[in-house]
Amino acid sequence: MIAIIDYGSGNINAIKNIYRKNNIACKFATKAQDLVGATKIILPGVGAFDSAMSNLNRSGMREALDSAVLEDKLPVLGVCVGMHIMTLNSEEGELAGLGWINAEVKLLDVERIAQKPKIPHMGWNSIETPTEHPLFNGIDKELGFYFLHSYYVHCQRQHDIMATAQYGKQFHCAFNRENIFGVQFHPEKSHSNGIDLFNNFSEL
Amino acid sequence: MKTREYQICNRCIMDTTDSKIIFDENGVCDHCRTFEEKIKPNWDVGDKGLSQITKIASQIKKEGTGKDFDCIIGMSGGIDSSYLVYLAKEKLGLRPLVFHVDAGWNSDQAVSNIEQIVDRLGLDLYTEVIDWEEMKDLQLSFFKAGVSHTDTPQDHAFFATMYKFANKHNIKHILTGGNYSTECIRNPLEWMYFQSDDRQIRDIQKTFGSMKLSKFPLTNVLWHKVYLPYIKGIKVYRPLDFMPYHKEQATQFLVDNFAYQRYSQKHFESRFTKFYESYWLPQKFGFDTRKVQFSSLILTGQMSRSEALQKLKIPAHDANTIEDDFQYIANKLNISVAELQGFFDAPNKTFSDYKNQQSIYKMGAKLLRLLGIEKGGKR
Amino acid sequence: MLRSRVIPCLLVQNKGLVKTVKFKSAKYLGDPINAVKIFNEKQVDELMIFDIDASVSGVAPNYQMISHWANESRMPLCYGGGVKSAEQALKIIKLGVEKVALSSEVINDPNILVDIGAAVGKQSIVVVLDVKKSMFGRYELYTLNGKKKSNKKIVQLISEIEKIGVGEIVINCIDNDGTMKGYDLNLVRLVRDCSNVPLTVLGGAGSHDDLLQLIAEFKIIGAAAGSLFVFKGVYKAVLISYIPQAVRALIQTISKL
Repeated sequence: MIAIIDYGSGNINAIKNIYRKNNIACKFATKAQDLVGATKIILPGVGAFDSAMSNLNRSGMREALDSAVLEDKLPVLGVCVGMHIMTLNSEEGELAGLGWINAEVKLLDVERIAQKPKIPHMGWNSIETPTEHPLFNGIDKELGFYFLHSYYVHCQRQHDIMATAQYGKQFHCAFNRENIFGVQFHPEKSHSNGIDLFNNFSEL
Repeated sequence: MKTREYQICNRCIMDTTDSKIIFDENGVCDHCRTFEEKIKPNWDVGDKGLSQITKIASQIKKEGTGKDFDCIIGMSGGIDSSYLVYLAKEKLGLRPLVFHVDAGWNSDQAVSNIEQIVDRLGLDLYTEVIDWEEMKDLQLSFFKAGVSHTDTPQDHAFFATMYKFANKHNIKHILTGGNYSTECIRNPLEWMYFQSDDRQIRDIQKTFGSMKLSKFPLTNVLWHKVYLPYIKGIKVYRPLDFMPYHKEQATQFLVDNFAYQRYSQKHFESRFTKFYESYWLPQKFGFDTRKVQFSSLILTGQMSRSEALQKLKIPAHDANTIEDDFQYIANKLNISVAELQGFFDAPNKTFSDYKNQQSIYKMGAKLLRLLGIEKGGKR
Repeated sequence: MLRSRVIPCLLVQNKGLVKTVKFKSAKYLGDPINAVKIFNEKQVDELMIFDIDASVSGVAPNYQMISHWANESRMPLCYGGGVKSAEQALKIIKLGVEKVALSSEVINDPNILVDIGAAVGKQSIVVVLDVKKSMFGRYELYTLNGKKKSNKKIVQLISEIEKIGVGEIVINCIDNDGTMKGYDLNLVRLVRDCSNVPLTVLGGAGSHDDLLQLIAEFKIIGAAAGSLFVFKGVYKAVLISYIPQAVRALIQTISKL
């Protein structure tokens, strides 16, 4: 049972729709109790870092999530701001992140982008993967995914980088450390690539 | 009442789910006999057929001189009409206007196939969009009526629109993809009553509808079978009956040359028809249109009986997507899944539970058969 | 590298899809939900749907319809029409829509963006500017679906809304709407010069070349089109289409230049 965290941020319906159409069991989790029986977790998110972080802190699920992810080692996939809040901190906000991964959120360095608009990074972009991982099985990397963000996650450990994308500079757009996964782009809005990614996650 | 013992034809695969089926002493059904005795003897796809259609084509071309187009072809995006468009232009040298009726249920493949064929053949396209609010209301009425010919609103709209268009613009020649090769056996009336019976449509709408049909195109069998052809001189032709038409070869040809996208079954270019024929009709009424389609292919040598029986073993609908399809149909019709399920669970009715003009059809069919104009119609 | 987006734009009036010419003579195109489903199957980059009745008639957005569209969309969806408050915007976002578009309300009072931005995030807000050329050739802003001229100046308004916070600006050329004679590139240049946020252009696209021309000049931009993706041929037959693979490949190439 995949638990999609519903803490007031992120397109949870789109994610549920994708799993439903593929007959993969999933449910929304709004309180700690809802995580009981979950085998995997998806942490979506849009908007500002602090707003998402405080929403999560207020949701009553913080402890249960920490336990599920850090102790029980349940696979967890963070999407966009959901990925951001898994880190230590963000240039965008004041609050501390969940600290599940040694990474920080920084503002995109767009000095090398000649034309306007510089930020946000919005639209379809290709990705590159340093190594092959089942999460990206069958994905057309050139086609890529849909991005919409001004901040990105910078991994401290090289080993954690799962995918990069090019926007001005090459930046980290997906990370993985043990059971913890994060993607900057929106797989729920990236057609077949996104559907494949979610399916792959469910099979990990 | 005693239920009839199950029996299946030894030649094709029509069986007693067609309750009016009659078997001879060899266990061969009346559909097969009608084909052998009435259709086959008069069906020529050799030199004679070619000569006939060439003559018709010449006439059409002659009458079309100086006009933007010389005929119209109704195109759904399905294999029959798509292949016909290709033949009409490339083999018969005609200049057709491709005519498409959008009833709101086009699949992406249908739309793409129409686009590719029209573009690659350099033809003009005309579409008529059916008013969705009225279409929706009529489709709901048919669901509420509990009859098995739930797809009548779409079918009726297609033909009515095309006839009205031809009449309005004084176009004398209509080409359709109807053919014996894949349709020599027709769906029994019990399964799919005459879609052109407007009396039935009006009565069902009057009984269950929430609005009067003002924009929905309605035609009348006398109008388009008698008035249009005999008084106005608007003729309908089925060119695929005059030339060899092998369904798989035609499909592969279009795939290779027109980026044609296949459907999983006949008529599946419409999402509604796909749902109706693969799920609603077999599951609610026990009528599987594949039996009709495969039987036609058996009789015309395009499928073996064993292959057909093998295919019938698996349900026509995709178990993985049916829940989703059900949801989509409900959403589109603006009802809940529970409501749609309610229609499914309600008692089955027949066309005779509502007003109809079957007597006119019977009379007309008899007359046309006597005159040798139609061979082996619907029963 | 990031690619420019090609975005079909659908107009809804009285629950049905329509297409206008210069914001008038709405032609009926049929049911929206099937159109959305087809565009989704064609894997379009993004989709915009505007309810052109809502702002004028003051009717609230049709949440049920919007929810059905969101259900069918595996790509970003932008909805506009009748959105006046943060509450409405948030409700729409929660249905699974990525972006909420506002027009008349913002032109009249840009400050409404403060609350709405706080509720849904600035990145999720799109401001649509309907523009028509005056008798003297000056670009002027219009509200209420092209019916009422606004006294606000384009450049000034853009500066104001960017200061408050907006995710994207859609520039909609009324004069070229439905004409399929090409985008008004002068207008695009004017707006691109004075704005810093993502820009999408709507009104006039008549061929895939028009899209490519726009993208080639502006590198990163949204190329939106209505007629181009719903009509076919001289008879303007209603048939949904999108750019073919060859054009997608070209856009990919342009992005790398």
